[in-house]
Amino acid sequence: MKKIADVVTSSEGEVFDVELEVDILKENQRLADENKRRLNSKGVHAIDVMGSVGSGKTSLIKAMVSRLKKNARIAVIEGDVTTTIDSDLIAEEGVPTVQVNTGKECHLDANLIKKALDRMSLDTLDLIFIENVGNLICPSEFPLGSEKRLVVISVTEGPYMVVKHPMMFLGAQVVAINKVELAPAMGVDPRKLADDVAKLNPNAVTIYTSCREGTGIDDVIRSLGAGAK
Amino acid sequence: MHEYSIATSIVEAVLDLAKRQNSSRVVEVKMSIGKLRVLSVDQLRFSYEILSKGTILEGSRLTVQETSGWVRCPRCGYANKIETDDESFHFGIPSMICPTCGTNLSIEGGDECVITKVRMLIPTAPKQGSVD
Repeated sequence: MKKIADVVTSSEGEVFDVELEVDILKENQRLADENKRRLNSKGVHAIDVMGSVGSGKTSLIKAMVSRLKKNARIAVIEGDVTTTIDSDLIAEEGVPTVQVNTGKECHLDANLIKKALDRMSLDTLDLIFIENVGNLICPSEFPLGSEKRLVVISVTEGPYMVVKHPMMFLGAQVVAINKVELAPAMGVDPRKLADDVAKLNPNAVTIYTSCREGTGIDDVIRSLGAGAK
Repeated sequence: MHEYSIATSIVEAVLDLAKRQNSSRVVEVKMSIGKLRVLSVDQLRFSYEILSKGTILEGSRLTVQETSGWVRCPRCGYANKIETDDESFHFGIPSMICPTCGTNLSIEGGDECVITKVRMLIPTAPKQGSVD
């Protein structure tokens, strides 16, 4: 006898189809919208910084904080599976940091950001950088409530980072192609990466950066609108 | 591997629904997932199977209908399925430039992740009205 027939004839009741529409990602979106409203009401700009492990997200944030901290009150939320290495690095700049350890999750979500915001005094801030967990796939599925999304990739990751992770670039306003000083050694053409971004998302601004040599940082700041306040 | 956290939300939502319908057993959960979602259906099903163990969802089937990505041009009104560069890729690379006028296209569909139907054992006819 088929399993389904067992169920239908069971004395516990009958099998019915219940039609509904439960949006599984709605709860995260709702919390993200809530975070956005909260940040807007306090006049705080928030930038979600995403990219793969080792692309230079922390270095780029550190370089931007170093340039901006004289004129803006900045805090940084650091997302990682574990450790406080990144927030310790950013703390060298003398700005407040909140480390969010996701434990096992491969991305930050709006609820974690809500909790992080609870621990920050938003009245005393102009700008928050949120460094997502190093990952080019999952974070794109979980909006946080930030105003802008910056994706950081580097030439050391090879020539296919953009085409292999298209969804990550669709929602980005700014894309930094980092470690360009290493492009010749890597045999990777940064212009090809920029072309791939332009094809996917013509509205995104792509900038070549080198955190080690300090190039392109000001352009990223300008493109994010992070400098003006 | 965010499929696990998505599967957790699915199981929670279905358990909640089953409770409200006084269901003692869930047979099948149907979902509609857009191709623009970066979700692996196999991994989702695997996580669902693990998470449903020991609940009234154990042994139930997770059926996923994949929907295509749709785009619209805000300038000239061009609307179509997302065209991809190379269909040989497992996941085609969407081009977000309008082929007619060159404007950036906006996504109209294919990014959903929705439970559409749950087949379950219920003592009486389902309370459709109580479902949100």
